[in-house]
Amino acid sequence: MAVWNLIIANPVLNVLVALSHVLGGQFGLAIIALTVIVRLITWPLNKRQLNSTKALQEMQPKIQELQKKYGKNQQKLQQEMMKLYKEAGVNPLGCLWPMLVQFPIWIALYQAIMSALAATPESLLGLAQRLYSWGIVNQAIPLNSSFLGLDLAARGNIVLAIIVGGTMWVQQKMTQAPAVDPRQESTSRIMLLMMPLMFGLLSLSFPAGLGLYWAVSTVIGIITQYFVTGGWGYLKLRSPFQPTAK
Amino acid sequence: MKQPKILFLIAVGLLSLVLVSCSGGAQAVGGWSGTAIDDGVIYAGTRDGRLVAVNSSTRDVLWFFAIVTTSSGGLSCGPTSVAAAIYTTPIVDTDLIYVGTYSGQVLALSTVARSQNLTFPQQRYGEWEWYCPLDGAKSNAIVADLAMSGDALYVASSNGRVYSLDKQFGDLNWESKVLDERHGKLWTSPVIQGDTLYGSTLDGHIYALSAETGELLGWSFEAGAGFASSPVIHGDTLFVGSFDRRLYAIETGSNVSRWRFPEEEPAGNWFWASPIINEGIVYAVCLDGRLYAVEAETGEKEWEFDAGSAIVSSPVLTDNLLVVADESGTVYVFDLSAQFVDEAVPLKTISIGTAVKSSFCAQDGLAYIRGQDNSIYVVDIERGEIVDGWPLSLATEK
Repeated sequence: MAVWNLIIANPVLNVLVALSHVLGGQFGLAIIALTVIVRLITWPLNKRQLNSTKALQEMQPKIQELQKKYGKNQQKLQQEMMKLYKEAGVNPLGCLWPMLVQFPIWIALYQAIMSALAATPESLLGLAQRLYSWGIVNQAIPLNSSFLGLDLAARGNIVLAIIVGGTMWVQQKMTQAPAVDPRQESTSRIMLLMMPLMFGLLSLSFPAGLGLYWAVSTVIGIITQYFVTGGWGYLKLRSPFQPTAK
Repeated sequence: MKQPKILFLIAVGLLSLVLVSCSGGAQAVGGWSGTAIDDGVIYAGTRDGRLVAVNSSTRDVLWFFAIVTTSSGGLSCGPTSVAAAIYTTPIVDTDLIYVGTYSGQVLALSTVARSQNLTFPQQRYGEWEWYCPLDGAKSNAIVADLAMSGDALYVASSNGRVYSLDKQFGDLNWESKVLDERHGKLWTSPVIQGDTLYGSTLDGHIYALSAETGELLGWSFEAGAGFASSPVIHGDTLFVGSFDRRLYAIETGSNVSRWRFPEEEPAGNWFWASPIINEGIVYAVCLDGRLYAVEAETGEKEWEFDAGSAIVSSPVLTDNLLVVADESGTVYVFDLSAQFVDEAVPLKTISIGTAVKSSFCAQDGLAYIRGQDNSIYVVDIERGEIVDGWPLSLATEK
């Protein structure tokens, strides 16, 4: 725990507090600025993921061709698909890595937001032991938790939860390649719903500051994805296995 | 195949909703209420939300009163009764004990009624108890110690206002405007001198209010950083600790501080606790673990002592002996009248073995300290030893 605090949690906390002071005492702006910084730091990973997505999109005609050809033989279809991915040097699960890498940052950010906002007297006192001696940091304390009508320390903001869930669904849909068989389609559909639903509910149970981070981070992700991959990806693409309206 | 998956999704969603809604209303019990002693009885708020009266000689619990509050349980749990956290140190005034809670209540408890375990509030002649908020208007956390002057009780609330209450009946005399608009909360206790009440704020202001009407007077002071401690007034000077790791001496009516300590490099942490002043020397403890003795007139350092652990509670002075307790549970006694020994070297060092964050009191050579383990420790100041210690858990009470 001491190592975690020393290397990750305390630097994130102090940078967040310092940013808040620089940005006129606006903790919400500090979270947005930190989100941009985190995005810049994880850019190499994100770029790899986006290139992978783009490659998958470019392979789409070939995939559809394979689906037509081996539609009735699922085993063969999957074998051919994997072969195709291998030839193109694409890992369909590559998009998971940037998310996994961001988990420690989310945890550190959650701790930083909780500590920095010091909602209780104990947490304000506890904050004293975690702040650096920088004048900029100590002058910013205690932070103002109001931002655009949001109380960043409060939980249960339903609008923010919907924004987090909605933006995450859009980003997932842009990335998620269409399924190659009905069974996979079912799993994909659940995955597409599960993640936004989970993060939406997490936004309800965590302080709004963390929800703000998720929302901003996802919106930045959508924008970069749009420009790097050159469009909305699979967002508007209907699944070939989806029942059509009669 | 489809139906179980949908059901699974719904189940996960509902379970999460239940967890979210139930956890939302929970209020942590805790606090760091200190001790007060009067007429051989120790009064303290406990970490499980009770006000306890203990006979200082026999250690018998004379009575206790559990302060509960109603907590909204969110979407599915309904309102529940939970123990209130107590941060304020009880104030004793003849037969009434006053205490504020984190759930926003101010209570006046009659020692007579409580010792007979009568229903609360007793409002018979001679046993008039009361509690606020009577109308729900002041339902905001009370963290700062209550202040008393004349017939009034002054309460700083987490809604950013100061309230004046009639100490006998609990009627509202006045409420101030919001003093800290940036944070909307007041966690420091006001200090009263004559007809003027001074309050420090987390956003770095000191305001002067009329103690009679609550109206803002002409003077206020603005600092570059927020104030961490409650101010102390001595003569015409306020002494207050700041989040910028300095102690300030501010002359009332002046817009510039008389001095700040340290002048150059800031201290190692915040001056969280209020300092005390004795014979022209300010004794200020710091979260960096140091006790500083500073000239009240000039801000020059006389001496310092490094306890090695954060000092959260204010020092106590009794018979020229200064008692300081740190967060590691070590109590230091300094002899301020010493002429032939170094004042900066503790006369006695006593370990009580548990963290001390609460303010404490001393009487007749004994210090009564409530540790964070919810126990009271009695320290013989001159002999430098623990005389007694007992937990304030329900199991030990009669």
